[in-house]
Amino acid sequence: MWRGDPSINDYVDRWVAPRLLRDYGITLRTIDGQGPAIVNQLVVERDARARGSADLVWINGETFNNLRKEALLYGPWAHRLPAAKYVDSLSPIVMRDFEQPTNGFESPWGRVQFTLIYDSLRVPAPPRTIAELGRWIRANPGRFTHDQQFTGTTFLKSVLYAENGGARSFAGGFSEKRYTEGSERLWAWLEGVRPYFWRRGETYPASVADLHRLFANGEVDFTMSYNENEVITKVRQGVLPRTSRALVLRDGSIANAHFLGIPYNARNPAGAMVVANFLLSAAAQLEKLRPEVWADGTVLDVRKLPPELKVRFGAIDTDPRGIPRDTLRRYEVSEVAAEYTERIASDWKTRIRANPR
Amino acid sequence: MENPDPREPEVKGLLAAILVAGPVLVGLVYSLLGSFSVVGPGATGFSLRHIQVVLADSTTWWGTLWTVWIALASTTLATVFAMGTAVALRGERGVDRFARLAAVMPLAVPHVVAGLGALLVLSQSGLLARLAFAANLQTSPSDMPVLTQDRYGIGLILALTWKELPFLALIAFSVIARRGPALEETARSLGAGALRTFRAATLPVLWRGLLPSSIAVFTFVAGNYEVAALLAPSSPLALPLLTMERYTDSALGVRGEAFVLVLLAMLVSLCGVAAHEWTANKVETGE
Repeated sequence: MWRGDPSINDYVDRWVAPRLLRDYGITLRTIDGQGPAIVNQLVVERDARARGSADLVWINGETFNNLRKEALLYGPWAHRLPAAKYVDSLSPIVMRDFEQPTNGFESPWGRVQFTLIYDSLRVPAPPRTIAELGRWIRANPGRFTHDQQFTGTTFLKSVLYAENGGARSFAGGFSEKRYTEGSERLWAWLEGVRPYFWRRGETYPASVADLHRLFANGEVDFTMSYNENEVITKVRQGVLPRTSRALVLRDGSIANAHFLGIPYNARNPAGAMVVANFLLSAAAQLEKLRPEVWADGTVLDVRKLPPELKVRFGAIDTDPRGIPRDTLRRYEVSEVAAEYTERIASDWKTRIRANPR
Repeated sequence: MENPDPREPEVKGLLAAILVAGPVLVGLVYSLLGSFSVVGPGATGFSLRHIQVVLADSTTWWGTLWTVWIALASTTLATVFAMGTAVALRGERGVDRFARLAAVMPLAVPHVVAGLGALLVLSQSGLLARLAFAANLQTSPSDMPVLTQDRYGIGLILALTWKELPFLALIAFSVIARRGPALEETARSLGAGALRTFRAATLPVLWRGLLPSSIAVFTFVAGNYEVAALLAPSSPLALPLLTMERYTDSALGVRGEAFVLVLLAMLVSLCGVAAHEWTANKVETGE
């Protein structure tokens, strides 16, 4: 799993692991590794005909797509989990992974939504759409940028959607023609505002953690997150200023779910399923949702839960920095085919990053 | 004790060589196969595609040139400072011994910490910028000169120089201690002034003694990932960063390009070793 966030690590190591040991006799050992590194590791293990080094992997999007393409996932198994009966089975965000049906090859774990983060002291009236953001960037040179990894690419996708009449234009699988036409508008938008980016768009923060640091140090006025509640946890950790707030773009706020898969060469797939089932249980999902824990959205349909659990979900401490649930739902849009993400990430590198002016 | 089998040392030597070179050779063969898309993530069977893409990409060449510039600049600076430190602190007084010890202390600092330290001090919201702000010399972070993630890699060069200096200084101290003062005393007794003595006696000795270590530093710095990840700009992208980026690209078909970049980095290191052999040869033949 990705080990880059102390609050997630604490949830897994201090809350989940002891309960798995106590209730099921399972010792949970976490290994660092995410996305592409997981795919590479499994490819090398396949080449070497080695037994698996991991029993359960935390994945989504293009990682799931790549693992399925290379037949590196065990399954189907996820629909057999007892806890799966409460999953929000009507939500396309939970049931599909970047438009790809999960088909029981991964079990949902959490759901998140893309937000911009700003400092309400420095930017009292923040832009709410991509068009407004473009005007704000021109009016405030050097105060905006995005990172070069996943979160930055998601921001670029938000611009792609907004400049092309919404996410629906790209739904229904990857199309080279739609990508070429649509992305031209994205590059045009970027070329227009890039001279007003941090460091004139000649260099970009490597990761979103670097962007958080620039924001916290007052070098830029916005950071971003692919978790609508990260602003809450990061303020509690003292990473971001107390006056930080999150906002969803009204052109559409990209939402997705993250999942758990079992590698084809897992040593203990049955144990992995028990762990995935526990992580999907109402108790584990509730704990994960708490703002002082991880504040990761649930993949369960709370309405399906027994009354006493429904009450507990409803009573979760809300943080004034959080975005109201109905606002999130109103502007949420699904991810489109993973190929769009891959192409935007790679074309941004050659068209924009490699050509600083 | 007499050696029962005269061939035994050779066998031991061969074993040691295999132990040292083995992993490198395995990596080399795997990278070669990966470059031809035979093994590794996204491998599609023998193809020259990865090699063509990497060699035709200007990002590769700018990244390589930039990496060589960083490695050359920081190695040269660290070598010059190491020589200066060794000459300045060559005495036998207690204070000299202490200064020599202090000069090599940063050897214990991990590279990633050196990189983070440079970021904390040199960035536009770093310690220097904050001091300048407190002294009313600047009003916003953008007033601070750009020293990190900058086009010329100034912050990166400074961090790497600081980090490599103690290692080279340690070697320089031992070179000077080994040679002793005899050569310089002879030069002076023949009437050479301080500058002449330094140029004709001290410098050649130090230079010859330090060269292999400087080449080692050059190859290490050229391949260093973590300091570059913290301090290098996104364009041009340093070779180690470019390699890692390709190896973890979200598109599986691109990851094979990392193997070609690994071989290119190896070539850069080999150029460093070749430069050493050539220089050492020139020194020995007295050219």
